[in-house]
Amino acid sequence: MNTHPHQPERSAPVTEEAWVERAIALLDESAHGLDAATVSRLNRARQSALAPRRSQRRGWMIGGSFAAAAIALVLALGLGHRPLPGALSPTDGAQDDLDALVDDDSPDLYENLDFYAWLDVQQQGGNG
Amino acid sequence: MLAGSTSMSGFDRMSAAPATPSDDSPAIERFLREVERRALRMAEFAVGNREEALDLVQDAMFGFVRNYATRASTEWPPLFWRVLDSRINDWHRRQRVRNRWLGWFERNGSDDEQDDPIVSAPDPGEPGPLARLADGEAGIALEAALRALPLRQRQAFLLRLWEGLDVADTAAAMRCSEGSVKTHLSRALTNLRVALEKHR
Repeated sequence: MNTHPHQPERSAPVTEEAWVERAIALLDESAHGLDAATVSRLNRARQSALAPRRSQRRGWMIGGSFAAAAIALVLALGLGHRPLPGALSPTDGAQDDLDALVDDDSPDLYENLDFYAWLDVQQQGGNG
Repeated sequence: MLAGSTSMSGFDRMSAAPATPSDDSPAIERFLREVERRALRMAEFAVGNREEALDLVQDAMFGFVRNYATRASTEWPPLFWRVLDSRINDWHRRQRVRNRWLGWFERNGSDDEQDDPIVSAPDPGEPGPLARLADGEAGIALEAALRALPLRQRQAFLLRLWEGLDVADTAAAMRCSEGSVKTHLSRALTNLRVALEKHR
């Protein structure tokens, strides 16, 4: 610790401040002067203590990812089946074809549409 | 008196420092990394043995992460030291029981050298971290004086003045009243001052 925040109160005798500050500085240096093997063991102890928390968090993240993917899939499927506003439904044309097939009109009618249209005009002209 | 001095915990000191761009480790890991060395020294003062101290610190880390990781980071310092203090107290309780049994066996004729308190006492030739400092004599004297303090006085001194917890947080860490913290600290200062008088 290069700087230390523990400043004794101003009312404390100077000599007491001095030796307490000296003691704290010595303690700081002793903590920083630990040998590499001890520091390594502290590091391992810390990692071991944090390991269950990390695996728990990883589990939540994996679970959350799966949940998000499932929600996205459900939404994608739901939107895929819903027609967009103003868009033609793919079943509209099929319905027209089906109506034509089950209609009572003879197929000849569709083959001579021009004739029937002319006849219709003639009749309207005769009536008028 | 020193007991009322303003303070900033080690974690506050760490948080106030600008983080390096590559430092993307979670806050709790940074917190533990910041306090672990002081925790080890504190445990070492309490049990007089580095191996035991390392076990206690690891135990405290496990307990702290398991029980308090989800708490606000501002609450972490007193909670961590409370867990460590609890582990130290448990260790002393176990030692008392163990010593009671050992004493019984000793009275029954066992004079095994392993149980000899002189043999099992810390080797004065082993300098310890403080002794490697420039002012090694003061370091050794301080370490000896701290180890000679009663547990509660030592904890009050280390948590309040070294770790920088305020009186309320020190009381929470030691599970005692704020008045007790002030009393323990005052006695600790008196005892340490007497022990270190020649080094002032």
